Amino acid sequence: MSYNNYEDLSRNEIIDLLRQWRDNNERKGEEVLTLFDTIIPVFNKLGSEKYLILEQVIYAALDCHYYETAMWWIMLLNMEFPGSLRVMRYKAACLEAEEKYDEALEILDNIIKSDETNAAARKRRICILKAQGLITDAIKELVDYLKKFMSDMEAWQELSELYLQVQEYSKAAFCAEELILHQPHNHLMHQRLADIRYTMGGMENMELAKSYYCQAIKLNPDNTRALLGLFLVTNALVGQYKSAGGAKRSEAWRLSQWAQRSAAPDLAAAMLTLAITD
Amino acid sequence: MAELLLDPNIRLWVFLPIVIITFLVGIVRHYVSIILSSQKKIELLQVQDSQVMIRARLLRENGKYLPRQSFAMRRHWFNNEDTGYFKVQKRATASQNPMTDPGMMTDMLKGNVTNVLPMIVIGGWINWMFSGFLTTKVPFPLTLRFKPMLQRGVELAYLDASWVSSASWYFLNVFGLRTIYTLVLGENNAADQSKVMQEQMSGPAMAMPPDSKAAFKAEWEALEITEHRWALASSEADILASTEQSQ
Repeated sequence: MSYNNYEDLSRNEIIDLLRQWRDNNERKGEEVLTLFDTIIPVFNKLGSEKYLILEQVIYAALDCHYYETAMWWIMLLNMEFPGSLRVMRYKAACLEAEEKYDEALEILDNIIKSDETNAAARKRRICILKAQGLITDAIKELVDYLKKFMSDMEAWQELSELYLQVQEYSKAAFCAEELILHQPHNHLMHQRLADIRYTMGGMENMELAKSYYCQAIKLNPDNTRALLGLFLVTNALVGQYKSAGGAKRSEAWRLSQWAQRSAAPDLAAAMLTLAITD
Repeated sequence: MAELLLDPNIRLWVFLPIVIITFLVGIVRHYVSIILSSQKKIELLQVQDSQVMIRARLLRENGKYLPRQSFAMRRHWFNNEDTGYFKVQKRATASQNPMTDPGMMTDMLKGNVTNVLPMIVIGGWINWMFSGFLTTKVPFPLTLRFKPMLQRGVELAYLDASWVSSASWYFLNVFGLRTIYTLVLGENNAADQSKVMQEQMSGPAMAMPPDSKAAFKAEWEALEITEHRWALASSEADILASTEQSQ
């Protein structure tokens, strides 16, 4: 839907649209703010949904750097629910957006103190560390967090990315494996682990990378990145096997040929960019 | 048999009052239970335990997607005799008697105050106040088996089963007003009696605090006997086979 069409929508349609974005976690800051302006006249008749919309609007305002207005709405929520941890979290988010990290951390610490199980506040703390560029501290905090909330997929994914940033590939691979445990049928998870294994290099890792790329392609035959990865891995393996020869080499060779063929139109362009960057 | 005629006063002073009373009681109970309800504090340790259990279960189920070494490493971390998580973490056995936990006792008391007490008091009062009336007639014939359900308090052997007595009308209202409550109070309201009944059936099993020690032991056993079978062993062959088929 293009930007201009929003004016034709009725108020109910707008509310439905906002709800849809909220459910899908779509962060369309500016659109949300424009739509919100049109439903302000009926805002008080919305019942308890109005608080949900308010939360959405606060995040939209923060995304668009309207800190003053966001703070104003947070105050409104605060008057409605004094002492609510959820509202406190929004206050912390606002301070965080303004880069007042120390104050935000203080609020988050207070939230954690009054509710030890508040995972969202703990995660925000880690995000602040990450935003400050303290990657090693963020990793330490995140490891601590994962000791307590072991089945938090998002956190494992974040940790994997942080480890990649500091080039701790084997640890990143561990986190990626954890992601596969959580979602064994998601081809992107397999592809991610294969990418890491390929980057680590070495015979054993290459073999693993080949297996995981194949699994990713099996789960989603259209995954071009996995196809390219498979091509690169098998090419490298064919080089390695030169001395050994035998069945493994021919299998790798056939896989490489197949990957090249099936990704041919995309691969030509990809190889071209690779050649350029090389 | 001659058709019975009901006094219009019964409609005004028995039929409608019962509907209104049960409806209002439901609404009052909804708000009282909101006031009395206490947010259950979850302890960090409890969250940690449940998440560990989830992770161990995932390892058991999806461990085949990991290389043997990674699988063994994780199992070692959970199950090792000296340092394994399930061996090192000592959890106290959950108290067997809920009466020893004051928090649970107040919860039970609150449940009784909001659910059982009004049911007994109002039901008893309606029975005493409006006993012995026929209030209405359902517009279809019913078999004799419905008599004890619909004609509580009016034991007339030859009365048609489709007549409804006042006490039975009260019970029909208690259970039948659920959709009206959802209309007025929204979903998941506390006024609904039939939900209370369900909770009383399944309640005791749910209310027991999870016994982490036993759960850890069971998970340890399950993990111990899990065999690792590398699921990706055939992935390359599968890809090649599919290409040869398509050619």
